[in-house]
Amino acid sequence: MFATVSIAILVTMTLAIIRALRGPSLYDRVLAVNMFGTKTVLLVSVAAYLLGRPDFLDLALAYALINFIGVLAVLEFFQTRALRRRLDAEDGSESS
Amino acid sequence: MTILFAVFLLSMLVITAVAIVRSSDLFAAVMLLGIFSLLMAANFFVLDAADVALTEAAVGAGISTVLFLGALALTAARERSRLGPPGLALVVSLVMAATVVYATFDKPALGDPNAPVHQHVAPWYLEQTPELIGIPNVVTAVLGSFRAYDTLGEVFVVFAAAIGVLFILSGDRPVSQVFRPKDAPSTRGLKHHLIPRIVGKLLIPFIFLFALYVQFHGEYGPGGGFQAGALMAAGVILYALLVGEGRALEALPEPLLKGMVAGGALLYLLVGVVCMLLGGNFLDYSVLAADAVFGQQLGIILIEAGVGIAVTGVLLCIFHAFAARDSGI
Repeated sequence: MFATVSIAILVTMTLAIIRALRGPSLYDRVLAVNMFGTKTVLLVSVAAYLLGRPDFLDLALAYALINFIGVLAVLEFFQTRALRRRLDAEDGSESS
Repeated sequence: MTILFAVFLLSMLVITAVAIVRSSDLFAAVMLLGIFSLLMAANFFVLDAADVALTEAAVGAGISTVLFLGALALTAARERSRLGPPGLALVVSLVMAATVVYATFDKPALGDPNAPVHQHVAPWYLEQTPELIGIPNVVTAVLGSFRAYDTLGEVFVVFAAAIGVLFILSGDRPVSQVFRPKDAPSTRGLKHHLIPRIVGKLLIPFIFLFALYVQFHGEYGPGGGFQAGALMAAGVILYALLVGEGRALEALPEPLLKGMVAGGALLYLLVGVVCMLLGGNFLDYSVLAADAVFGQQLGIILIEAGVGIAVTGVLLCIFHAFAARDSGI
């Protein structure tokens, strides 16, 4: 049963990678990376039981805890960039 | 089953790597690097290298994306077009790749018990660890005690890397002012977004708790100072993303971070010197306590603490240096 589940997860991972490679918009890629992270957590959990090392679940826990930090950083990056563009545009209109 | 996993993950790894190199959109490349790191960690895991996988997970899943985005904020969004046809570079790369592939034909098969790596010192480590050090995780015993010199070297490499990064990012300012942001925009951070703020704040204590667990449970399961340091830094970086980088710098001020970088490395060194003063060899912890096995365990806990402190300090220093440079321009 673990084998079937892990193959299903591998297929989902492939789909996520295809989306990340093809884009087309930035948000497709962000979502694909986020989903890929979730699938890695699942794959590690299933593989831990499949390979008979359930103590390796620590790894899945670590992932689950910090996986979304990257996505938050992306949000912050776009927010700062939008803010800076607005400031630049205001500076430009004042000086002209 | 392991073979199926490994083949799948490695082919995905190659596809992702080619896509990263070919992509001229740097943001897409950063996102693909995140996937690359996840694939790498899954691959380490399938090969039973849980300690390495945990390091890759802790650094790759959170921190490296944050640092890459910090770098991306300083530069243009697209790669500049290449200077000419990549003729010579392509030939050199292909020849190198062919040589390496040819060399792998002489490599022992995966998991071959007669491979030199399993014949040299590994059996001795496996045999002696319960008797000499008395902890179940042999990786920690090898890293912390048998090969403590190498780990000391690694810590100082991390230390030197941090100094190099701070030196480059300080630019024309003196290094002492790397972290001082000039009039940072007040809207920095995600504090105006309700859901990330609340959920993130709930998770920060658990990240710290898990980091401490990884730090002090390294003798029994996968983990240790490097992984715990990266997790700890990830928790602080999450705080910085949520409430603004300046607030995180107030909580953990610059002198403290720099002290952590130097202090962690020096703590490791100090343990070695104390061993010598007590009449043992450098980094031979047996003399630290009346009982040799307990002395070994005490030594490993102390040096792992040093590693954890140093790694946390280094990662946070680099993060703040990027952020300060960003707002300073």
